[in-house]
Amino acid sequence: MFSWSNFNKEVKIGFSILGLYLIWAIGWLFYSLVLKGSFGRPYLPQTDIRRELFRPFQDGLVLGTDIYGRSLLEVISSGLIYSLGVAFTVSLSCLAIGVSVGYLTARKSGFIRSFLDTLTNLIFVFPSILIAIMIMSVLGQSFWGLVFALVVTGWPAYARIARGEALRVLGLSYVESAKAVGMGEMRLFLKVVIPAIMPVMLIHLVLGLGGVIISEAALGFLGLGGSEYSWGALLSTAKSVLLEAPHLVVSISFTMAGLIIGLNLCGDGLRDYFDPHSRKRKG
Amino acid sequence: MELLIRKIIYFIFTLFMATAAIFFVVRLSPGDPVERILGPDATDIEIESYRSQLGLDQSAFHQFIDYLTGLVTGNMGESLFSNEEVVSLMAQHMPPTIFLALTSVFLAMVIGSCVGVWAATHKSGWSDNIIRIVTLVSLAFPIFSLAPILVLIFAIRLQWFPVSEWESAAHTVLPIMTLVIPLSSIIARVARNKFLEECNAPWVTVLYAKGLNDFSVWLSITKVCLPTILNVVAIQLSVVLAGTMITETIFDIPGVGTLLFDSIQNRDYPVVQAAIIYSTAIYMLIYFIVDYINEVLDPRISTGGQ
Repeated sequence: MFSWSNFNKEVKIGFSILGLYLIWAIGWLFYSLVLKGSFGRPYLPQTDIRRELFRPFQDGLVLGTDIYGRSLLEVISSGLIYSLGVAFTVSLSCLAIGVSVGYLTARKSGFIRSFLDTLTNLIFVFPSILIAIMIMSVLGQSFWGLVFALVVTGWPAYARIARGEALRVLGLSYVESAKAVGMGEMRLFLKVVIPAIMPVMLIHLVLGLGGVIISEAALGFLGLGGSEYSWGALLSTAKSVLLEAPHLVVSISFTMAGLIIGLNLCGDGLRDYFDPHSRKRKG
Repeated sequence: MELLIRKIIYFIFTLFMATAAIFFVVRLSPGDPVERILGPDATDIEIESYRSQLGLDQSAFHQFIDYLTGLVTGNMGESLFSNEEVVSLMAQHMPPTIFLALTSVFLAMVIGSCVGVWAATHKSGWSDNIIRIVTLVSLAFPIFSLAPILVLIFAIRLQWFPVSEWESAAHTVLPIMTLVIPLSSIIARVARNKFLEECNAPWVTVLYAKGLNDFSVWLSITKVCLPTILNVVAIQLSVVLAGTMITETIFDIPGVGTLLFDSIQNRDYPVVQAAIIYSTAIYMLIYFIVDYINEVLDPRISTGGQ
């Protein structure tokens, strides 16, 4: 059932695009950590003011240079590592919090449930960019500040889905029997509920990765990001030299777009593949 | 009626919580506005007297009470920098933002529904495939990378539209385009899927059996899809708000977004607060109105849990 040929076209194309990006990311990590620097002291793109705003392929630099005279390819690659790092850290944290809260609201009643429900709804009706802006301006600009801001705005969506899924699973007869033989609360959650709801949650995670990358870049664009290599921050400096060096905006935008297309294709395809109601499913 | 009252009470409660959260979070930010206004040469005495003049030397709780009474009476204080009333600052910056948001939501709904219905009625044809690819690609370019590319194409290369001012109708074209493209793509996708789902419903067969032509049947199906489209707009509101604010900063439009980001840079507490609270209030108001309409239209989506 899980063999490659069974997947629909969207998943195949999506996975291929993501594969290319992963190879790029790993290649750059290898190049910067092993060849150019040493472990723990990564090689960072070097500045040379005399080389600023080179055109692509000028002087052997594939994408040219940015306004500080750094090789654009190296800068974008560092941004790729940063983006992927943020996206996975944020999504996995959201998943952990969302599943726990969702399960609690499905299983418990009374004070805990109404408290968690109110909290989830509050964050839902609050415009998420304003929450993120407020948190980033309080915590200052760092990797963990950024992750925190994005997790705070991201987990309620996971909680909502996890709750629905948990309610569905808790009604199934094998879960009933697990409860009937006296399985402990924690063991029921870890051994029965988690494996049952994980596929849906993981699809949601893949669908959400693109959104996290966009939110991270948006904050970076507004000057509230966690790193100068954030694609958003790069775009905001590239935008100021749009007349002189349009290749900056174009290269950064298209790199980001490729990654997001790959993620969206993968997410949509996987959802169709696992969703029994979808008409697009082919055996 | 009971539903409406419950909604209103809940709305006021959420708004109060949001106000409190915003007030305390803004106060927690590092950086001192007084030192920023007076500059590095100011003496301690000057700083202290200015601080008490602004009311910043009182306890946070006291400031909060002052602030709440100000909110209710419409007196939001003055900007720490321009000595203008915050309320009048907001009033000046509100119209471009509201104009941008409303126009783009309206256009996106019209364009998105039409494109979605077209794709659904030409399912698996070449136009459907092209629409699918275009929507997929346009969703991969967020506002802040789409805007510079549009500027590059339409303002720099083709020189069709001017940018960086906010005077004539021609200046509004690119910002609106920036906002409409992603939103209409989302709406088109949802409209297409919902339309195809409804196509198989028994009542559609009845319409055909009654002898209606294709076009009138499509029109009825589209009507059924409208609540779903409205719901998508409600879910995307947060994105629209963020998008409008970012678009304003890119195109130098004197709206609430520009005001907010300038004030964040300056640590202009009263203006930051007012901008966030007003945007949140308007956002929540629309959210609750759409939610209420949806619940009235479709009693199945009851949030009460009965």
